[in-house]
Amino acid sequence: MASSIDLSADLGGIPLRNPVLTASGTFGYGTEFAPFLDLERLGGFVAKSLTLAPRFGNPPPRIAEAPSAMLNAISLENVGVDRFIAEKLPALPAGVTVIASIFETAIEGYAEVSKRLSSEARVAGIEINASCPHVKSGGIEFGQDPAVLSELVRAVRRATARPLLVKLSPNVTDIAEMARVCEGEGADAISLINAVQGLEVDPETRRPVLANVLGGLSGPAIRPIALRMVWQAARAVKLPICGIGGITSADDVVKFLLCGASAVQIGTANYLDPAVSGRIVDDLEAYLRRHGIARVRDLVGALEIPRS
Amino acid sequence: MSAPPLPIRTDATVVVNRAEGGANRRLVLRVEDWPGFQPGQFAMLSAGARTAVPRTDPLLPRPMAVYRTRSQNGATDLLAEAQPGQRIGFVGPLGRRFELPDSNQRALLVAGGTGIASIYELAQRAQAAGRVTVLLGARSAADLMGVDDFEALGVGLEIATEDGSKGSAGLVTELLESALASGDPARVYACGPTAMMRRCAEIAAGHGAPCVVSLENRMACGFGVCLGCAAPLREAGYALVCRDGPVFDASVLDWERVP
Repeated sequence: MASSIDLSADLGGIPLRNPVLTASGTFGYGTEFAPFLDLERLGGFVAKSLTLAPRFGNPPPRIAEAPSAMLNAISLENVGVDRFIAEKLPALPAGVTVIASIFETAIEGYAEVSKRLSSEARVAGIEINASCPHVKSGGIEFGQDPAVLSELVRAVRRATARPLLVKLSPNVTDIAEMARVCEGEGADAISLINAVQGLEVDPETRRPVLANVLGGLSGPAIRPIALRMVWQAARAVKLPICGIGGITSADDVVKFLLCGASAVQIGTANYLDPAVSGRIVDDLEAYLRRHGIARVRDLVGALEIPRS
Repeated sequence: MSAPPLPIRTDATVVVNRAEGGANRRLVLRVEDWPGFQPGQFAMLSAGARTAVPRTDPLLPRPMAVYRTRSQNGATDLLAEAQPGQRIGFVGPLGRRFELPDSNQRALLVAGGTGIASIYELAQRAQAAGRVTVLLGARSAADLMGVDDFEALGVGLEIATEDGSKGSAGLVTELLESALASGDPARVYACGPTAMMRRCAEIAAGHGAPCVVSLENRMACGFGVCLGCAAPLREAGYALVCRDGPVFDASVLDWERVP
């Protein structure tokens, strides 16, 4: 039996004490979870997506329950990059690995937000949220058009020397193509998947349940979709992958690692149980011990497909 | 009142679950290490206990007002919804409390429907500090909750039902109108359907009385992270019902857009 388990991971140049991070938009600015969890137990967390100026989100209703999932349309609500740097970053314990997420409606905006974050020592890396509607393309998400995605990653790559992650939209025909675009433009890692676009309807009122009509579906219902896309992306590129989508347990983390993810992000589960990510770290270590695996990285891409 | 306690995340045990007027149920929970709570606070309850592989359908917890608590051998009972012996997920207490009235003010507590649960603790604490009148409204007598509990507190109690089956026939907001007519300084607390709270705010403003309301909204987390529970503000933008409320000064809200 292994006496010490090596949980460490590397995500495109960001050293992590373990591969369990929390996902942007589901973990606030970190300190909201301090009553429930020792933030330094996490591999790291990705902060709420930032825009240049503070933004208000959509009108309510913004969320709805769906089978083993939730649908949300919060939109761009955030404090803005400058307040994040001035107030939110300094409030975090020193040992917490912080990845900043960026979100804008034009490529120049993304580049400017990255530039401001890049002078902050506390920012270990930058994650591009590519699921924002691109105003110039008539509202299609940046991550849905390979040419637009390519231009976006290139512009942000020029604006920052920090490890650069691109969070991919699942609302595409060929995720491998999008992964290759990121690799070609010099990204250091990719995160996937973001929420799956969805719609829910109230038959009594005959209206959409969300004021925004469309929303992003997240939670355990999308996990098989996420695993499939991580597996496809991992076969297409050499970039490390951060797997996201409906993780609620250490078993789920193992599934993503086996499909080729080097690390994972816990999202919607943080709402149901604000202490869940810490418990998943403990359970992951227990899994490795139980299976006699010394290093968590030995699981990465180790999916065994029986030959028929 | 002292600073609100830090919330805890735990599994609570259902002790009692019984019908309580209309479609409402009274749920008594045992919560180990209960940190205490203040009037107006709520908790997030989910139907399953926290297991290694959590229950995922239904996925989201539901916000429930904390009605009252009673210490019992270091444990405490509180209320909401499920089966005796069952373990359910619990995060709380959460949210901003009701502030007690000033010593020269009468407290007028107006509650309709499930809003009745939110004001019990306030009624109890305000009663200890001064004069309290509780105005309860429901569609019919069968939909009323907690009448015996309020009577036992010794607060002034008036009831309005829409069908006249208990108390006066009509809306609880009409009781508020008459209660404010005397002109005594009063502070109004309202919790119930949006239309009721909005009307209370208008009536209170008409009499120059301060008014606070306790809002409901859909929530995924309850502690300011999912940003699902947006309450539209009069100035611009939104407040979060879970973090900035559920108790709000009625004058800051844009009532046209409150869901």
